[in-house]
Amino acid sequence: MADLGKWKWLALGAVALAALVLPQIVTSSFAVDIFIRILLFSFIGVAWNLMGGYAKQLSLGHAAYFGLGAYTSTIMQIDFGISPWIGMVTGGIVAALASLPIGWLCFRLRGPYFTIATIATAQALMLIFLKFRDFAWGAEGTTIPNLGSAPLMLQFETKASYYYVVLGLLALALLITWRIERSWMGYYLVAIGEDEDAAEAVGVNAPRIKRDIYMISAFLTALAGTFYVQYIYFIDPATAFSFNISIEAALVSIVGGIGTLWGPVIGTVVLETTSTLLQSWLGSSTGGIQLTVYSLILTAIILWRPTGLMGLFNEAWQRHLGRKPARMRTSP
Amino acid sequence: MLETVVQAVINGLLIGGIYALVSIGVTLIFGVVKIVNFAQGEFVMIGMYISYFLATYFGVDPIVSLVVSMPVLFVIGVLIQHFLIRRVLGPNDMPQIFLTFALSLLLLNLALLLFTANYRTVHTSYSDEAFHFGGLYVPEAKLIAFVVAMCLSGALWAFLHTTDLGKAMRAAAQNRDVATLMGINPNRVFCVAFGAALALAGAAGSLLMPFYSAYPFVGQVFVLMAFVAVVLGTLGNVLGALVASLMMGVAESLGIQFVGADSGLIVVFAMLLLTLAFRPQGLGGGRMR
Repeated sequence: MADLGKWKWLALGAVALAALVLPQIVTSSFAVDIFIRILLFSFIGVAWNLMGGYAKQLSLGHAAYFGLGAYTSTIMQIDFGISPWIGMVTGGIVAALASLPIGWLCFRLRGPYFTIATIATAQALMLIFLKFRDFAWGAEGTTIPNLGSAPLMLQFETKASYYYVVLGLLALALLITWRIERSWMGYYLVAIGEDEDAAEAVGVNAPRIKRDIYMISAFLTALAGTFYVQYIYFIDPATAFSFNISIEAALVSIVGGIGTLWGPVIGTVVLETTSTLLQSWLGSSTGGIQLTVYSLILTAIILWRPTGLMGLFNEAWQRHLGRKPARMRTSP
Repeated sequence: MLETVVQAVINGLLIGGIYALVSIGVTLIFGVVKIVNFAQGEFVMIGMYISYFLATYFGVDPIVSLVVSMPVLFVIGVLIQHFLIRRVLGPNDMPQIFLTFALSLLLLNLALLLFTANYRTVHTSYSDEAFHFGGLYVPEAKLIAFVVAMCLSGALWAFLHTTDLGKAMRAAAQNRDVATLMGINPNRVFCVAFGAALALAGAAGSLLMPFYSAYPFVGQVFVLMAFVAVVLGTLGNVLGALVASLMMGVAESLGIQFVGADSGLIVVFAMLLLTLAFRPQGLGGGRMR
């Protein structure tokens, strides 16, 4: 589709340009804070989507890797004075390694019970970090020393700098997804997602592919963990291993379009904007209202448009071109 | 020492009876409808609030209010199956998992909005009473809950094995297509299974009320136990879920007694991980019993 291809690249350029100049135009720290949240959860969503979207291994335990990344870099920084940039990559490696035994256990179950097992492993990790205060400050957590302007220690004076860091992370995750989507691995992932037994029958080494994609997904999610605690200068088990992280990772992908490159980004923009509007309407954040609305949106998407907003856009685009709406490749 | 162990085992068995009601519901839905109901815990929560409000405003005893909470939740279950779950039954996991998950999020957060996060308790005349046998003691409220829970589990088992509808359910659990060919209406069977499972969750809520607080997140405690018990007792196996729930109650109680007050969940996760590592097919057999 040459016509679509040209438009795609133009649109991509426009989006990239807009993303680059956005914090220069809108400078209120409230707004930039929201942009950072959107980029961060898009990034986590894209990381989740690699495994949850393409291979349909529906994890609700990605907080495990978010937390491991956050704790690895914080422990390295506070106890050993090592820069969180190095800690971030180390955290990613720790998370990728941790995904091996966790995956070994959880992949023994399929479908919904895989999901439950991932919830349990993330909760178990949170309990471990709550219990063992010797190396990780227990339930109280710790504040991360504010060094002012220290780019080498992943600390900046302006929010805009944090914005560019997380924008870079998101770009990296999108690039990885784009490369994988086009490689043999992408096709194997979709085959596993469609029907694991059939994929194995035609020679796809499903356990190996699932293991590899879980490692990549865990690695990326851990980078988000480091970024987040550096951004808020605080860490405790309830923040780092919050179940809400796991929920949001899955939710933004499903609402935006599961198993699509841009789905998680679109899902995050819609959900976070909704949540911000709700909060400004209702004044302070009324407990429960945000997740109530999220769950209604999720229900609506599942019942009426399981391909998510990307599916909706795709159909609208096809109709615009005067074609019969085609089914998306990754129908759920 | 021995007395402490026996006391811990008794406490575990008593709470295990409540876990059993929740896990039998989960396993019944999984066995018949072939989905996992992530919202099962929230229906325990609803059962608790029904009993709480009946007790507070009408003075109804929480155990008696079972006759309200069970039918109400049965009807809710039938409606949910007929209008929501039915639309996502198919080969794909994603809509099924996230529909019931969305339901769980919705009910939990609605409860938070409507009832706030406050703990609510009902005090009955027997809440503080206990039977004493030598050095051992059995709290009256928990014993009543356990006995009623076992009776309800037995009633469900008898229903599945003696009535036509129950047999149709087991047939649909074994092979949906063949059951349909034999003239069983799958949607009707699914509605009854979902309703019955929710009625059990509602019963668990009412039975808990005399000795447990109601709050929006309360269901999470029980649903986690239920999921582990259902894996441990083999997916879809009612008897397995019952035995596994009692085991989990005892394991948790022993953990609290001998490891520390906050180690209950650690024991639960350890059991899940050990099961997955060494016996992922669970302790029971494959068929629905």
